[in-house]
Amino acid sequence: MTWLTWRQYRAQLYIGAAALAALAVLLLITGLQMASQYHSAITVCAANHTCGNLANTLFLGSHTVGFLVILTIGVPGLLGLFWGAPLVAGELETGTTQFAWVQTITRGRWLAVKTGWVLLAAAVWGGAVSALVTWWSGPDNALQLDAFQANRFDIQGIVPVGYALFAVALGIAAGTLIRRTLPAMAVTLGVFIAVRVVVAQVVRPHYMTAVTKIYSLVTGYIPRGSYLQLSQGVLGPHGQVFSGNITTNQPVFDGVPVNYAAAACQPLINRGNPSAASCLASHGYHGFVTYQPASRYWAFQGIETGIFVILAAALIALTATVLLRRDT
Amino acid sequence: MSEATITVPEGAISALIGPNGAGKTTLLRLLTGLARPTGGEVAVLGGTPRQDPAFLADIGFLAQEIPLYRRLSAADHIAIGAHLNPRWDAASARQRLQALGIPLDQAAGTLSGGQRAQLALALTLAKRPRLLLLDEPVAALDPLARRHFLGTLADAVAAGGLTVVLSSHLVADMERVCDHLILLSASRVQLCGEIDTLLAEHQVLIGPRKDTTAIEKAHTLVQAERTARQTTLLLRTNGPVIDPAFEAADVTLEELVLGYMGQNAPAAYAHLSTVGEEQ
Repeated sequence: MTWLTWRQYRAQLYIGAAALAALAVLLLITGLQMASQYHSAITVCAANHTCGNLANTLFLGSHTVGFLVILTIGVPGLLGLFWGAPLVAGELETGTTQFAWVQTITRGRWLAVKTGWVLLAAAVWGGAVSALVTWWSGPDNALQLDAFQANRFDIQGIVPVGYALFAVALGIAAGTLIRRTLPAMAVTLGVFIAVRVVVAQVVRPHYMTAVTKIYSLVTGYIPRGSYLQLSQGVLGPHGQVFSGNITTNQPVFDGVPVNYAAAACQPLINRGNPSAASCLASHGYHGFVTYQPASRYWAFQGIETGIFVILAAALIALTATVLLRRDT
Repeated sequence: MSEATITVPEGAISALIGPNGAGKTTLLRLLTGLARPTGGEVAVLGGTPRQDPAFLADIGFLAQEIPLYRRLSAADHIAIGAHLNPRWDAASARQRLQALGIPLDQAAGTLSGGQRAQLALALTLAKRPRLLLLDEPVAALDPLARRHFLGTLADAVAAGGLTVVLSSHLVADMERVCDHLILLSASRVQLCGEIDTLLAEHQVLIGPRKDTTAIEKAHTLVQAERTARQTTLLLRTNGPVIDPAFEAADVTLEELVLGYMGQNAPAAYAHLSTVGEEQ
């Protein structure tokens, strides 16, 4: 059965290997360049004591390669479409299940071996792409402190492995239920994107209770490292929250429209005077930031990967249940 | 399908004949375990069709669509079979295909319909099943390819150890290779038996238009056709028919099949009813 799986997926595997090799060459070359660019810039700025401003003055690599790296966010989806969706649907469509299922092998074993190898391959591919991207992004992460941001978090670390497993399992399940490859691919794509967006936008920020820091408007506060910000703004003296959500034509200071500010500070805000901060601070206004600290990065990676692995397992269980109970 | 017990002779080819929609495919798929009965049980080879290597090893099935992996070659298919079956006879499959001039290294999707059917047959035979079920394998083939296909099948059965049930609605082809007939119509077994015996048991009577109550009492009427001047009766006879007004003729298999298919009466052989192999 392993041999059959290999024979059936050989072409896809070669294409996948070629694409991965091309990506590896590109990222290794540009990654090494970026690393040396970063290290020389650090040496120079350390000598000139200008490292605090380095993130604004230094751009690493090229826009094209950077864009390409962002595109690797689509790799799990592609695996789901081209490895997952045809796994069962392709055979049902061409009738080859009626060949395979009357060989001396049970349907359960047929599914287990095919699914097992393809899921393993998806995990390896997702992991390999992610490993390359993670290594490549090292200097940029250090420079921009953005590893926890959406579209960075999603292509680095271990989460791409979870996404790849989920996408392929989703493709297999959709193909089993729909029985036709093309509609199964469409459903796989739609559901995969929907689940990913909902998890990333709605669920992910709340894996752990966020930390809220209230700080003086005079000194300001920026959490350390690559943190994930949930909200930020100003707390009024009576507990009002201004987080930039109020739409107004009035001048605004850090999310506080001028007519909500203490009367004494309003002229300063109108004039855009930087001392508005200390004026507001003296009238009982504070800054606040709600965020997930950088130290939780790997915990979040683990939680998100776990969620997608569990979803993948549930989809495979569904596939097995349907396939073993149903007539062909 | 409602209750049906079909007994087929071991080491012979049985034809499963019936009109479209009679339940031939359903019956064969139930026997392989590809489909499950909505109620009741299926028994074949002394057991229930199940997801169990011991059962699957004994069954060969060739579906009507002749399913093959289109991008894989005959050699690939033979290798797949070798990996999936304990009793696989790769040498015989290769030999069979070479004898037929079917290229081993060409993608199955590029072979002709006849070649694909021969490849699929060679693969099912290489599995060395005890019971081989073929679902209208020749329906899509031209007469020559059909002849070659059935010839291969007959040779394989002659080599021994193989029982075949072959569904078709092509009576003439079946008559050439089959020893045994199962007639399925309206999801019921209408007729089941040795073809020669069945033919000997039936007669066609042609005579003038007249009352035939006496004949119908003595024999079993399968079908009657009455025109203004002539009566044609298909009878299952109990001994010789004595009525000088009628001319008795041997029945052809086609007449027999059409007679039973056209008949609305309940199954003449309802008492004959096990799906399985006569041991």
